[in-house]
Amino acid sequence: MFDNYIGLCTRHPLQCLPVFITILPIIILLKRKAYISKPYLILLIFLIFKLAIDLIMFHLAAHRTNNLLFYNISIPVSYTLLAGMFIYKLDSPIFKKLVALSIVLFALFSIWDMMRVNPDMNDSHNHSMVPYASTIQCILMILWILLYFYEIMVSMKIPNLFNSTFFWICCGFLLYYSSFVFIAPVLHYTEKWTNPLSIGFAANISYIFEIFYLLAISVGLFNFEKQHYAKY
Amino acid sequence: MQNIEELKFALLLATLAMLIMAFFVITFVMLYQKRKFEAEKALNSIEKSHSKRLLDTALNSEETERRRIAQDLHDDIGTMLSLTKLSLNQLNKIVLEPDSKERSLIHKSQTLVEETILHVRRITRDLVPTTLERFGLSEAISEFINKLEDNNQLQITFHSTADDSMRQQPKVELTIYRIMQELVNNAIKHSKCSNIEIELEINSEFIFLKVADNGIGFNATQLKEDNLVGLGLLGIESRLAIINGIVRYVSPPAGGSLAIAQIPVAPISEKKPEPLYPFKRAKIS
Repeated sequence: MFDNYIGLCTRHPLQCLPVFITILPIIILLKRKAYISKPYLILLIFLIFKLAIDLIMFHLAAHRTNNLLFYNISIPVSYTLLAGMFIYKLDSPIFKKLVALSIVLFALFSIWDMMRVNPDMNDSHNHSMVPYASTIQCILMILWILLYFYEIMVSMKIPNLFNSTFFWICCGFLLYYSSFVFIAPVLHYTEKWTNPLSIGFAANISYIFEIFYLLAISVGLFNFEKQHYAKY
Repeated sequence: MQNIEELKFALLLATLAMLIMAFFVITFVMLYQKRKFEAEKALNSIEKSHSKRLLDTALNSEETERRRIAQDLHDDIGTMLSLTKLSLNQLNKIVLEPDSKERSLIHKSQTLVEETILHVRRITRDLVPTTLERFGLSEAISEFINKLEDNNQLQITFHSTADDSMRQQPKVELTIYRIMQELVNNAIKHSKCSNIEIELEINSEFIFLKVADNGIGFNATQLKEDNLVGLGLLGIESRLAIINGIVRYVSPPAGGSLAIAQIPVAPISEKKPEPLYPFKRAKIS
């Protein structure tokens, strides 16, 4: 039974590594009790959800079954959770409303996108990745991160950015979504269960930065101090 | 095939460009924040030094004014009272009848004038502590305590390790003396205490002034939070800020209160210090 998993790990180590690294920020988050702050509670839910989806996809891939359905489902959920953190972290009420509105619209859009690409949901074998939703998710996330950066520059509420948990999280996500924004739409055409098309090293970039953002989140959470959680 | 290779290259290039932009944004935010904080810090330091200078000037003016009043009291009122006393003495000699009404009135006036002279002398000394200038902090504090004990039922003890130490700069000594006065007066006015302990300690780095009482005590942090700090406590902090000192208020477990002022030592320089002697007119620059 484990031969399949070990075989997958040896064949695709870079793709499998982020699945297990996800455990690291979860442990640090629980250890530092960062969940007392609402944004980090949402982050905990996101990380647990990501771990669950990744493990299901890992299991299906190990048994050579099309797992793209789970990837497509994970897009609106992960965006809802990640953008939800910004509702708490952004100061401007207008930005907060924009983020909240984007969550609703994006959820509807990504469901439409998934249904449009895969009209027959029962045909999981030929299920393919959404062409637009992941790209739009990248753009929206980059936008919220830049807005957050703008707010911290204007308000000067964080004296030392290296000690700010959320700054580390934003840096990780900014680099991840920046690396993924151009690759995401291409994956719709290349990542097919039958006759996949290789795009070479470009396909690995997002996995490298997925590992990076998980490590950045871990570093940020390691800096989390319970008594200061309301500040940053 | 060539198209796919071109697509891969374009994809790599675009991703790389995006990543460089992301790195640039992060670096920009960090550098901008750092610079802004440094600028704010510099501005704060300028503001702080400016307000410190203003405060120093205000306190110097206060001391100059005290000296001027003391000098006027001594030179004008004191001289006039002495002359009045002399005149009364002469008048006393002129009146011949020993038990006359006039003589008793003159005698009463003489006593009043003498008392007034004593009062004026006390006020002048209170305004400008001449003992501090001549003999140093320990002596000045001892004299202050003696005067207080004469007028109150209080028991005041004073321990000093400053006798063998070098004299401090006049401004530092005067500040410590004024703070001690304020703390003791506060204890008498507000703490309902029966015992006050004053301790003056000088080591190689700091001067420590400790004033403890056995009264009802107070919570300085709470007072600050509730904006109930009076001018006395604010004055202590302002005076200390000028000589880079700090003050801490402690509530000892046994009750009462303890104030600890910590000031960096500033030994007297070779240059002759500015005199605090009240009877010389101070130069007002």
